[in-house]
Amino acid sequence: MAGEHLERLETLHDQISGFIYPNEIELHWGLLVVLYPYITGLVAGAFILASLEKVFKVKEVEPTYRLSLLTALAFLLVAPLPLLAHLGHPERSFEIFLTPHFKSAMAMFGFVYAWYLMLVLLLEIWFEYRADLVRWSQRERGPRKLLHWLITLGSRDLSPEAVAFDQKAVHAITLIGIPSAFLLHGYVGFIFGSVKANPWWSSVLMPIVFLFSAIVSGISLVLIIYYVATLVRRETPDMACLDKLASFLLYALIVDLSLELLDFIHRLYESEESIGILSELIVSKLFISLTIVQIIIGTVGPLLLLTFSRFSQLPPELKRVAYFIAALLVQVGIFSTRWNVVIGGQLFSKSLRGLTVYKPELAGIEGLFTSIGLMILPFVILYVLVKVLPPWPQAAAPTAPPPD
Amino acid sequence: MKLWGIADQVVRLAILLAIVGGVTVALRARFVPPSFGETGHYRAEAVTIAAELPVRYAGSEICAECHDDQEELRRRSYHRGLSCEVCHGAAAAHAEDFEAQQPLVPRARGEACLACHEYLPSRPTGFPQIIERLHNPLEPCVGCHDPHDPTPPEVPSSCAACHAQIERTKAVSHHLALTCETCHEAAPEHRIEPRSHLPNKPTAREACGRCHAEGADSGAEIPRVDLDTHGPRYLCWQCHYPHHPEA
Ligand code: HEC
Ligand code: HEC
Ligand code: HEC
Ligand code: HEC
Ligand code: HEC
Ligand code: HEC
Ligand code: HEC
Ligand code: HEC
Repeated sequence: MAGEHLERLETLHDQISGFIYPNEIELHWGLLVVLYPYITGLVAGAFILASLEKVFKVKEVEPTYRLSLLTALAFLLVAPLPLLAHLGHPERSFEIFLTPHFKSAMAMFGFVYAWYLMLVLLLEIWFEYRADLVRWSQRERGPRKLLHWLITLGSRDLSPEAVAFDQKAVHAITLIGIPSAFLLHGYVGFIFGSVKANPWWSSVLMPIVFLFSAIVSGISLVLIIYYVATLVRRETPDMACLDKLASFLLYALIVDLSLELLDFIHRLYESEESIGILSELIVSKLFISLTIVQIIIGTVGPLLLLTFSRFSQLPPELKRVAYFIAALLVQVGIFSTRWNVVIGGQLFSKSLRGLTVYKPELAGIEGLFTSIGLMILPFVILYVLVKVLPPWPQAAAPTAPPPD
Repeated sequence: MKLWGIADQVVRLAILLAIVGGVTVALRARFVPPSFGETGHYRAEAVTIAAELPVRYAGSEICAECHDDQEELRRRSYHRGLSCEVCHGAAAAHAEDFEAQQPLVPRARGEACLACHEYLPSRPTGFPQIIERLHNPLEPCVGCHDPHDPTPPEVPSSCAACHAQIERTKAVSHHLALTCETCHEAAPEHRIEPRSHLPNKPTAREACGRCHAEGADSGAEIPRVDLDTHGPRYLCWQCHYPHHPEA
């Protein structure tokens, strides 16, 4: 074990440039910590998209409303897992609930998370589905009936007042939910932005940049899932809906890009003592993941593709494919954004005089395979959720109660 | 179910929430140690437990009671800031009863000294450093330096002994051919008692102008600048690091 570790350090050692402190050779926050902001970003983004439909009454995106909620839930359930795996003692995590530490931003994660999961997302889904759940369980039998009945918590009132109450509740929760989703991902940005010792992270813009990249990633994820789901279900996607999603994606992308540019220009103009090493970082260790992947492939590429396909006279089939590809590119871009923040922030020495490297492991709890597993898991959960709570319009049970 | 006019849904959810809250309160009662939070965000008992651990270090004052020779030497010399146990290891048992434990005696070359004196760029300026491979190899350090009074047998000849990082930086710069004395006047006492005899440092632009001014009487290969217009109002070394100047 120790020998292996030394060997690893030795290979890293050859790629260090300049002067770094001994405890900076190896990164402490690896791939799993990249996943964490990536996944929470998807949650917040998908939820904000769902809220658009409710609060601003954007009728076109209605077909994705329930799907967005379920997507947000599936990813939210996975969001803490990378952290638990990274910390290595999952069984101790409940202690942050038992002995809350209000002065530590990291220790508050459990509360931010619990608030969002239990008081926003689950509640909204419950009210949204309750009437349908009752109707489904009336028609079904066997375990499905029992399951749907259990989820209603026995609240079986289908009177118009009760259903109207559900709708009002959904609306109210959405109103609380938007700031909560901002809080959730703004919080993740805050964690990084408030590390004053790290010039790459420390920036008041960080929570806002995180938020907008979250919105971008959430919209593009829902677009991808909606498109693939219609393919699998052999339906033609609702083109008005896709067009609207693509427009939202485009606008969010523009805001996101301008915020990041603002951050960049601000740093250049301030030109603090760290600017030398950060410039070196950008042109050497982060060149591929920042310039090529994040900016060119992940932002400029989709921007052009979306603008072109959205406002051109392409046939719908082609348009859809173009949107889909743009959304995939956006995902790649956002993932590398997270990578560049988390990994990039640890590649330079606090002495501001040297750079190290990061090599993800393959196996092992913090390795590549774990990360891939954690990225597949939300889709599995989403599959189950879709089976239990079908989000498709056709699945919604007829409003008239069946004759008893 | 409709209580006091509250909607059925809300009543049921409230019950669920109350159960979750109740379980949390019960878990808290079961798992949070009683002394938690008494003195801070930790278990107060932990302090008592830590205090009960066996004492391993005696501190440096007690040693002097029996080893006044070494103490006397150390107090007057460079190692005055070091505690005996830094080199001799934990010796509480020895101080209690000197027959019970023999403290470590790091006589071998490099056993104790290099942890502090091997060259490292991050050590503070002026800290005495050597490169072990080049500094009198094959002989134990204690052969020439009494560890309790490590004053070198002769005054160090080069500034690099203590300013290794500056020397090494300069060695790869355009100024490699300049000796330190070109710009600093260092009294010989600086090498013996560095802090009480600090050398001087250039204070005016003319110090550099001596070689770099337009009309200066210096080698033809030296690049020239016009002192009046080149970065006026600033000292040269606010822009150029003198030990590694770059244009
Ligand atoms: C009560 C008196 C006493 C105190 C206090 C004491 N010593 Fe000693 N020490 C002795 C005596 C006597 C010897 C010689 C014993 C021997 O040669 O076996 C000795 C020997 C030593 C040696 C030499 C061991 C060797 O192998 O040659 C060292 C080193 C030493 N002491 C360090 C310390 C340090 C460090 C302290 C303080 C933490 C300390 N002593 C406190 C009495 C004391
Ligand atoms: C920089 C490391 C260092 C420090 C600090 C230090 N010693 Fe030593 N000490 C040594 C070494 C090395 C030897 C062995 C010297 C030799 O064999 O010539 C030694 C030898 C001794 C001896 C054995 C004497 C002998 O000649 O065998 C005693 C006793 C001793 N030290 C006590 C102390 C006491 C007491 C202090 C604190 C006042 C102290 N030392 C601080 C490194 C140190
Ligand atoms: C725990 C760290 C430490 C250890 C171990 C240590 N030293 Fe030192 N040494 C110092 C410090 C601190 C100074 C004082 C530096 C100063 O004055 O700025 C010093 C100064 C010196 C000097 C320089 C005197 C001068 O001319 O400036 C010599 C020589 C020296 N030590 C030799 C040794 C030898 C030989 C050993 C091993 C027996 C040793 N040191 C072990 C910390 C250590
Ligand atoms: C052959 C005798 C000899 C041996 C062995 C020796 N030194 Fe020195 N040391 C000297 C002399 C002489 C100087 C001063 C001249 C110079 O700078 O080279 C010196 C200078 C130093 C200095 C520089 C600080 C200063 O004031 O110049 C340090 C630190 C030092 N020695 C530590 C060690 C250490 C550690 C070892 C063991 C690894 C060691 N020495 C072994 C003779 C020796
Ligand atoms: C025995 C070790 C030693 C040697 C040899 C030595 N210095 Fe120093 N020097 C120091 C120390 C210690 C300081 C004080 C550093 C500090 O206070 O931060 C210092 C400080 C300086 C300073 C800065 C003064 C200031 O005001 O900041 C200069 C310049 C300097 N030395 C030049 C030299 C030159 C030139 C030589 C060679 C002729 C030399 N030194 C040799 C130990 C040494
Ligand atoms: C070309 C002229 C020049 C030469 C050659 C030079 N210095 Fe300096 N040095 C300076 C100037 C100018 C400063 C003041 C910088 C400042 O105040 O920011 C300075 C500052 C220092 C300081 C204190 C500040 C610091 O960086 O730690 C030390 C120590 C020092 N010099 C040591 C040396 C030594 C040792 C050498 C030889 C290896 C050397 N210098 C050679 C010009 C020179
Ligand atoms: C004793 C003469 C001398 C003094 C004094 C001197 N320099 Fe130089 N300087 C040189 C020489 C020689 C070169 C190297 C020319 C060459 O590259 O062949 C040089 C080169 C330079 C360069 C050009 C480096 C490059 O990238 O081409 C700069 C900048 C410089 N010195 C700045 C300074 C500053 C600042 C000072 C005052 C702290 C200073 N010099 C004092 C002799 C001197
Ligand atoms: C305001 C910052 C600043 C100050 C102050 C400054 N320089 Fe420069 N120096 C520069 C820059 C930037 C360059 C490179 C661009 C250029 O050639 O103008 C340079 C270039 C040089 C060169 C190389 C010229 C060449 O032809 O290669 C020398 C020599 C030099 N400076 C010496 C000095 C000296 C001596 C002083 C003090 C009298 C000084 N500088 C003060 C910024 C400064």
